[in-house]
Amino acid sequence: MDHVLDARGLPPPEPMERTLDALAALPPDDRLVLRLPRQPFPLFDLLRRMGYLWEVSGTEGDYRILIRLADTPPAGA
Amino acid sequence: MVNTAGLRLDQAPPIHLPLRLLLTAPWFAVAAAVLLMVSGDQILVSRWTPAALAVTHLITVGFLGQAICGALLQMLPVIAGAPVPGVHWVGAVVHVALTAGAPLLAAGFLGGGPWLLGLGAGCATLGFAVFLAAAATALTRAQGAPATVGALRMAAFSLAPTVLIGAGLASVLVGWTALPGFPAWVDLHLAWGLFGWVGLLILGVAYQVVPMFHVTPGYPAALTRWLAPALLVALVIASLGTLSGLEPVVWLAEGAIALGFGAFALVTLDLHRRRSRARRDANLLHWWSALGAAIAAACAWGVGAPDALIGVLLLVGVGIGLPSGMLFKIVPFLCWFHLQQRQVSAGRFEVRVPHMHGFLPERPSRWQWGLQLAALTTLSGACFDPRLATAGGALLALATLLLAGLLLTAAWRYRQTSRALERSSPLDSHLGSQPGST
Repeated sequence: MDHVLDARGLPPPEPMERTLDALAALPPDDRLVLRLPRQPFPLFDLLRRMGYLWEVSGTEGDYRILIRLADTPPAGA
Repeated sequence: MVNTAGLRLDQAPPIHLPLRLLLTAPWFAVAAAVLLMVSGDQILVSRWTPAALAVTHLITVGFLGQAICGALLQMLPVIAGAPVPGVHWVGAVVHVALTAGAPLLAAGFLGGGPWLLGLGAGCATLGFAVFLAAAATALTRAQGAPATVGALRMAAFSLAPTVLIGAGLASVLVGWTALPGFPAWVDLHLAWGLFGWVGLLILGVAYQVVPMFHVTPGYPAALTRWLAPALLVALVIASLGTLSGLEPVVWLAEGAIALGFGAFALVTLDLHRRRSRARRDANLLHWWSALGAAIAAACAWGVGAPDALIGVLLLVGVGIGLPSGMLFKIVPFLCWFHLQQRQVSAGRFEVRVPHMHGFLPERPSRWQWGLQLAALTTLSGACFDPRLATAGGALLALATLLLAGLLLTAAWRYRQTSRALERSSPLDSHLGSQPGST
């Protein structure tokens, strides 16, 4: 199941705070879709160290970052 | 200073380096406020009185110097993507030198004798020179947003004449040398320090933090491209005019500087009006009162108001007010960021790291802003009625004491969580209980 977190319009570091809160509550097989106006490079570093994988789509102003645990099957699998 | 492509958080220095400067800074504003409370009626009569010079240097060297250097040690690597060389010993030297320099300078001005004044000036010169050498090296390698990096470079450039002229003036005061046209050099020291070093720095930082933290549209491209260079040129022209005694040239250049900073303040207020988030936290309130003080100072210059009023508006309104608001963002952010990084590195997710706003209580932060605004208003009034000076100084003392206390509260909360992270169980015992530990 995908959970959407729209963090557009939030000042830093609220998008990162809310993302980390959402990930802590995310069931192991579910995925988080994060919507942001910019690519969150500092978050990517944390995700990598926490054992998550992510895919980025969209363009400047409206990026979608699909986040899942490294052992969660990708979409459609 | 976070969450944007090009920002390099991994290059930030250890938290104790910026924090020791940022936590020391408010105590010099407290000292300045106490001096205003005790002898404000003399200070606000003329900027040449010993007490006025002491208060000015407690604010500029002690408070602003520490707050700016502390913030830039953190922000230069993050915004400009270039680490400050030798950041550990640079931070230590700057902290010790400015912490010693500000009170020694103040004591020297207050009748402590030429040796105290000379020693204070020497310490302040050393602190700023070490910082400038390190910051200039970082800024030559900088690759961040061009408008911000450009304004920061011009601000750093302006610090050089400020410090050199200041050191020269001190050497005259202690009797080591003579300098023809002493008052003109004092004007230059003040102009390069306030409008070059501090003013251009505010521009460069605002270009990044206002759109990001206040969620506003970006500054107009023409403003970010031309305003800082135009102000720097005006500053050079004003300086040459001052040294040549060309009053009309000085007046025109000063008018351009007043107009430039006034326009910047108005544009920033307009961006705030169009912000997409209605929340008014203490940081935003401090920005508004500081921008209002900058506009009032420009108007006061235009109508030929007393120097003391312009000094109060710039030093107390902008010089203490704006950094106070910024400290309400910077210190909690540093605490949150470093704890977050440590938590992920250790994989100890059972410890709750507070959100950034959890490090500082919001309501007392707003009270702090209210006290600061009341102090600014009362001290401005005291320029016309000296009987208000004691009350204005007392209000400023309360505001700055509360600022210092709130920042210490944030540091205490950092330490509590930091200890909890150290105490918590090893990673292995929590495997499988948290997403990040898998």
